[in-house]
Amino acid sequence: MPQVLTANRLQVGEVVYWNSAQGWVDSFAEAEVLPDDKAEDVLKDAAEWVTKREVVAPYLFEVRVKDGVAVPVKIRERIRAAGPTIRTDLGKQAG
Amino acid sequence: MLIKRGRIVDDPFLALADGEPAPQSGAILVSLKRFGAEKDALLARGFPLAVRVAAGESPQSLSDDVHKLAAVVLLVGYFKDGRAFSWARLIRTRLGYKGEIRISGHFLKDQIAFFSRVGADAFDLSENISPEDVDLALKEISNVYQPSVDGRRTIPELRGRMNERRRLAS
Amino acid sequence: MYRYDEFDSRFVHERAEQFRGQVARRLSGELSEDEFKPLRLMNGLYLQLHSYMLRIAIPYGTLSARQLRKLAFIARAYDRGYGHFTTRQNLQLHWVQLPKVADVLVDLAEVEMHCMQTSGNCVRNVTADHFAGAAKDEIEDPRILSEVVRQWSTLHPEFSFLPRKFKIAVSGSDADRAAIMIHDIGIQIVKNDEGEIGYRVFVGGGLGRTPFIGHEVGHFVGKCDILAFLEAVMRVYNESGRRDNIHKARIKILVHQIGPKEMRHRVEAEFAEIRQMGVLELPEGEIARIAAYFTPPDFEALTDECPEFEAAKRSSRGFADWVKTNVHAHKMPGYAIATVSLKPIGKTPGDCSSDQMDALADLMDEFTQPEIRVTHEQNLVLPHVRRKDLFALWQSLDTLELATPNHGLVTDIISCPGLDYCDLANARSINIAQEIAKRFSDLERQHDLGELKIKISGCINACGHHHVGHIGILGVDKKGVENYQILLGGSGAEDASLGEILGPGFDKEGIVDAVENVIATYTDLRQDGERFLDTVRRVGAIPFKERLYAH
Repeated sequence: MPQVLTANRLQVGEVVYWNSAQGWVDSFAEAEVLPDDKAEDVLKDAAEWVTKREVVAPYLFEVRVKDGVAVPVKIRERIRAAGPTIRTDLGKQAG
Repeated sequence: MLIKRGRIVDDPFLALADGEPAPQSGAILVSLKRFGAEKDALLARGFPLAVRVAAGESPQSLSDDVHKLAAVVLLVGYFKDGRAFSWARLIRTRLGYKGEIRISGHFLKDQIAFFSRVGADAFDLSENISPEDVDLALKEISNVYQPSVDGRRTIPELRGRMNERRRLAS
Repeated sequence: MYRYDEFDSRFVHERAEQFRGQVARRLSGELSEDEFKPLRLMNGLYLQLHSYMLRIAIPYGTLSARQLRKLAFIARAYDRGYGHFTTRQNLQLHWVQLPKVADVLVDLAEVEMHCMQTSGNCVRNVTADHFAGAAKDEIEDPRILSEVVRQWSTLHPEFSFLPRKFKIAVSGSDADRAAIMIHDIGIQIVKNDEGEIGYRVFVGGGLGRTPFIGHEVGHFVGKCDILAFLEAVMRVYNESGRRDNIHKARIKILVHQIGPKEMRHRVEAEFAEIRQMGVLELPEGEIARIAAYFTPPDFEALTDECPEFEAAKRSSRGFADWVKTNVHAHKMPGYAIATVSLKPIGKTPGDCSSDQMDALADLMDEFTQPEIRVTHEQNLVLPHVRRKDLFALWQSLDTLELATPNHGLVTDIISCPGLDYCDLANARSINIAQEIAKRFSDLERQHDLGELKIKISGCINACGHHHVGHIGILGVDKKGVENYQILLGGSGAEDASLGEILGPGFDKEGIVDAVENVIATYTDLRQDGERFLDTVRRVGAIPFKERLYAH
């Protein structure tokens, strides 16, 4: 199953996603969808960003791609990408 | 680097693996297990003997023999394992040991002040802890709230004295 | 309430600077995240689902107006203008940034507050009865001992790297409003036959994966001996608690493994040794000094007869409803304890905006309230309100959405932040609380149901205390879908009991109906004005299981 690499910015704590062309991006929509065989290597490379103190706690999570749009499989990641469901005025969903 | 009572010192002990024969002379450091098994022979050498207590072991078994030791080394396997704090206290207080209690292994400089309070007086510093770090660590928080092995006056005691002085002055 | 002297003040300022140094070392790379984590946890800083979360300590849940205003300021300046009051009487901010945290600590230090030990494997915030100093049945104000323990446990050199977290709670009466039976150490203040005050010490209570009710380990520990006794318990735990598995590392597991009798034996041996040295003997002078901070305010000589209060109840249905549930008897005639509800229907339980905090601080000044309390059920309490002021107070609270008349009722739900906020969660909890509250919002129905405590946790860590809810709800992940299990018959009071799981869970759509079915079973079976909990205890779980799972 395809995956996405995510982490939190060390300083501000914000959730970010990996895109090899742009680096760490703020929005899930810009995240790079990684095929299974590539994902583990990308995660390994992320260790460099941890050492550089850009991000903390990088990990992979699964996405489903439908009509070219990736959606996180787990609800936890959907919430993490958007913000608290009971406060739509907070988090990334608030713009 | 070994720091003892605030000074950089050389480590006088040769650390021996459990099966390794002890040299004819000189100070040696052995495991608690080995001490338990070969106590008489090791002490009969007539040279300073140190014992290393590993994570998961308790120094309680040293008992009165501890007074014959030149040092007790507490090996911290991982800094989150806080048993060594209780062991240092046990050795100083219950066993009444007056010799060197050394902390070795994986510990943070942020733990040095705590170790110092519970009776440790020597630290085997990893390369990212400097003597200046140790100095600072011991000064960062000026006062303490609770009594410990170090016998430092606690905040409640300092308060008591301060209030008494004020009372007398007024 | 306790006021810092120059020693306390210097302590928290130095602590803030120490943390600033630790953050700098983290940002420079000198400390890895692994090494930094326990250090930041000891200052209450978590990395959560969306951002860093900071947990501010509110010792025994007591705040002055000045402190409340500072919290409002901090939530505005460093966060998103609100905070969340927790089941351990603390305040959480969900959106802080690492480089700013030391500044927050400095701001807090200005008003005698801090974030020390609100996380980490150390002694946490000491919690106490939120009716302290006001309740009729109080033997002694539990905050005196709580403050003594707070100081003793602050940066304790021997106990800062325990196998796991350590939670202490103190109750000052026979009624347990501090949930002491589900704490690592629970202390009940008691009087012996000679009229002396002493402490009954319970050890090994706790929730989470393996819930336990605490066992009595000290029957009557004298005031001068209590620190020595606590140190004995902590030492046995630090030396023998498991460190191989974080799910088996609490003291409750140790007590369960060796048995309460052996635990008592080990503690007594350690206690005898400590006592002999005399170092931890608590001097009478120090006890008296701290007790002096908790002397009650100067109460006016009033009577309980209050015609304006009675008239207001007659003229205002809203006020009368609020009085029914949110106003409690006070030990002084003419006074009352008022619960300020943080459970408006459809909102997040326990959340409070900066505007609300500021307005509450103003009300405290207006009605000369020296303190406000945070309860472990995520409400606030004004402990010393004159009965004649209650109507005016209620009117103001009502405009602030702080007057929901539901204390102890079915919509007074306790809920952890859950998957909307928390990195550990498996399911959302706040939305479930909101849906249940909306379903039962009709006040007449709420009154008919009477006392009914629903507690919801979004994962097995049980921060929502679901094990001790009359109805407990545990959110789990069932094959990637949020699923909710129902527990029945728990209680966190002096009649402590752990809830029983009724059966397979329900999905998000089904859980509210399921709760309704459970409650309907109660109304069908109740006798003679029984509370929900009493009916459950009388008839057992089977009728409820049948109702839920028959089809």
